[in-house]
Amino acid sequence: MGIVGNTVRSARFRRSRWVLTAILCVYLVYTLIPIFYVVTASTKTNADLFGTFGLWFSDDFHLRENLVDLFTIQDGIFLRWLGNTFFYALTSAIGAAFFALLAGYAFAKYDFAGKRLLFALVLGAVMIPQTALVIPLYLLFSKVGLLNTPLAVILPSLVFPPGVFLMRVYVEEAVSDEIIDAGRVDGAGELHILSGLTFRLLMPGLATVFILAFVAAWNNYFLPLVVMSTSDQFPVTVGLAIWYASATTGSGGNLLFTVVMAGSLVSILPVILAFLIMQRFWQGGLSAGSVKA
Amino acid sequence: MAVITLSGVTKSFGSVSIIKGVDLSIGDGEFVIFVGPSGSGKSTLLRLIAGLEETSGGHILIDGTDVTDRGPAERALSMVFQSYALYPTKTVRQNMSFGLEVARLPRAEIDRRVDAAAAILKLEPYMARKPRALSGGQRQRVAIGRAIVREPVAFLFDEPLSNLDAALRVDMRVEIAKLHRRLAATMVYVTHDQVEAMTLADKIVVLDGGVIQQVGSPMELYERPANLFVAQFIGSPKMNVLPASADGRAIIVPGGKVRLAAPPPAMIAHLGARPENIVVTPPGQGDIDGRVDVVERLGSDTFAYVAVPDAGVLTVRIVGNDVGIAIDQPVGLAFDTQRLHLFDTRGQAVPAAAA
Repeated sequence: MGIVGNTVRSARFRRSRWVLTAILCVYLVYTLIPIFYVVTASTKTNADLFGTFGLWFSDDFHLRENLVDLFTIQDGIFLRWLGNTFFYALTSAIGAAFFALLAGYAFAKYDFAGKRLLFALVLGAVMIPQTALVIPLYLLFSKVGLLNTPLAVILPSLVFPPGVFLMRVYVEEAVSDEIIDAGRVDGAGELHILSGLTFRLLMPGLATVFILAFVAAWNNYFLPLVVMSTSDQFPVTVGLAIWYASATTGSGGNLLFTVVMAGSLVSILPVILAFLIMQRFWQGGLSAGSVKA
Repeated sequence: MAVITLSGVTKSFGSVSIIKGVDLSIGDGEFVIFVGPSGSGKSTLLRLIAGLEETSGGHILIDGTDVTDRGPAERALSMVFQSYALYPTKTVRQNMSFGLEVARLPRAEIDRRVDAAAAILKLEPYMARKPRALSGGQRQRVAIGRAIVREPVAFLFDEPLSNLDAALRVDMRVEIAKLHRRLAATMVYVTHDQVEAMTLADKIVVLDGGVIQQVGSPMELYERPANLFVAQFIGSPKMNVLPASADGRAIIVPGGKVRLAAPPPAMIAHLGARPENIVVTPPGQGDIDGRVDVVERLGSDTFAYVAVPDAGVLTVRIVGNDVGIAIDQPVGLAFDTQRLHLFDTRGQAVPAAAA
């Protein structure tokens, strides 16, 4: 199979394939170089970090010492940050996926007054960067006394408009109206139909929303920076940024850039792990056999 | 088993009126089929009976109880869907037992009913399979099994055979007819296939434009269609219709006259003749003349399409295949005057003769 109108062997197909492959390779290198830099930098001593070539390892392999430093500096606060991030990201992602499922399902399968307007609002909300909402959120949380609590980070992350949009599209494709009607004739309530008959058909879509929300919450920096004030509530992003600032000014005593780099490396591993775990949900054909295609 | 009564039922989606006032009574144990072209409202009418759509007006009664405002499950009906709509993540057994579990029947009763339905439908070897591991015909049987186990007061079928291939469709048609005899249940069935309608129905309801055109037994509709629409919708190939007018003891049609024993009603505007009620004669010896356009030989029958000036192409059915008719041959056509259908200017049927 080739691009329609081109056979695999045609000169045109091969030319366009080369061009596309080249473009993708440039993009791949662009993405991998910073990650590779993090990997090499976290294996070096602070002196080697500035004294050797950035994109290769130095002779003095210092990764173990950097990791020990990372988890012991300031009474091992890094582990606390990692735990915070994990907690914020997991609860946010579960909640965001849950609400996206309910909202997307309703948009896809029910008719109600104001549906078009509400969906337009959801699409509009996709366009608003979260950063723009941070100051109003700060004022709001300060009124209700939620500043410097986990809810200040989690609650805003539950609102995930792209997830609602994705789930609507996914539900429309994956769940036929007749299955819902069949459930109704069988006497099942709407929530029972969703949980008992259609939920498992929606796992790939739900897994996608979950991972997107998880990564967004994992990487969230500006919101926790503003609403969290004590070090024990920080997520990894904010903690590392503060360490980095200390290292830059040299005021942190033994805080070194290499420790910040090792922290960055450790903080991306769970996200990679999450992708690998969620991968098994991305399988097609779950609804095969239910309805005639 | 149930009597279903519709009175003045209407349905609109927004400003679009789909069902424009339907009155219908479906008797206990009757097999009633809704037929009509796409957009005639036949599926919508079935969904209204099922409770999957809310009526815009009128009432639906089941055994004398007004169920207009009740949900689908409370109506104690079963429905078989066009796409089968099996639950993809459940096994055949779970598909069939789901509705009973929702109704909180005792386990033993659920198993008894599911096993009985499986035996009727010969599904026993497949009970542990998921729908995706079944063939189209097996899926269809599971969908019917799911309907049977509920022991409903009536069965609703929404074009259940339209996704099957031709051979399987004939088999399933026979199975559904047997099932109806065995269960003696009220069945309401929607199809656009008039062969299904003719072979299965006790009573056919012909719909067009959201209005019932005629209700009757298959042979009533075939022999005495109430209007031009029913005349041309029921029967395959469809009835030939020519513009006509009365003239003494004859009917004038393009290119000739049809002589009758008694004077026809004066108000006739159309003459209908089924393909089997026209005989091919040598040119000049029939009522009208034409030229053979196409010949289709099916073995048991031959269809000749004869072009008649100003009247279009008439279909003639000739029994057998050794008919000695060639394309472009001029022929005469004689009508069986005992079996003519006459219609007035509004397309309503007119009794053939005062006699």
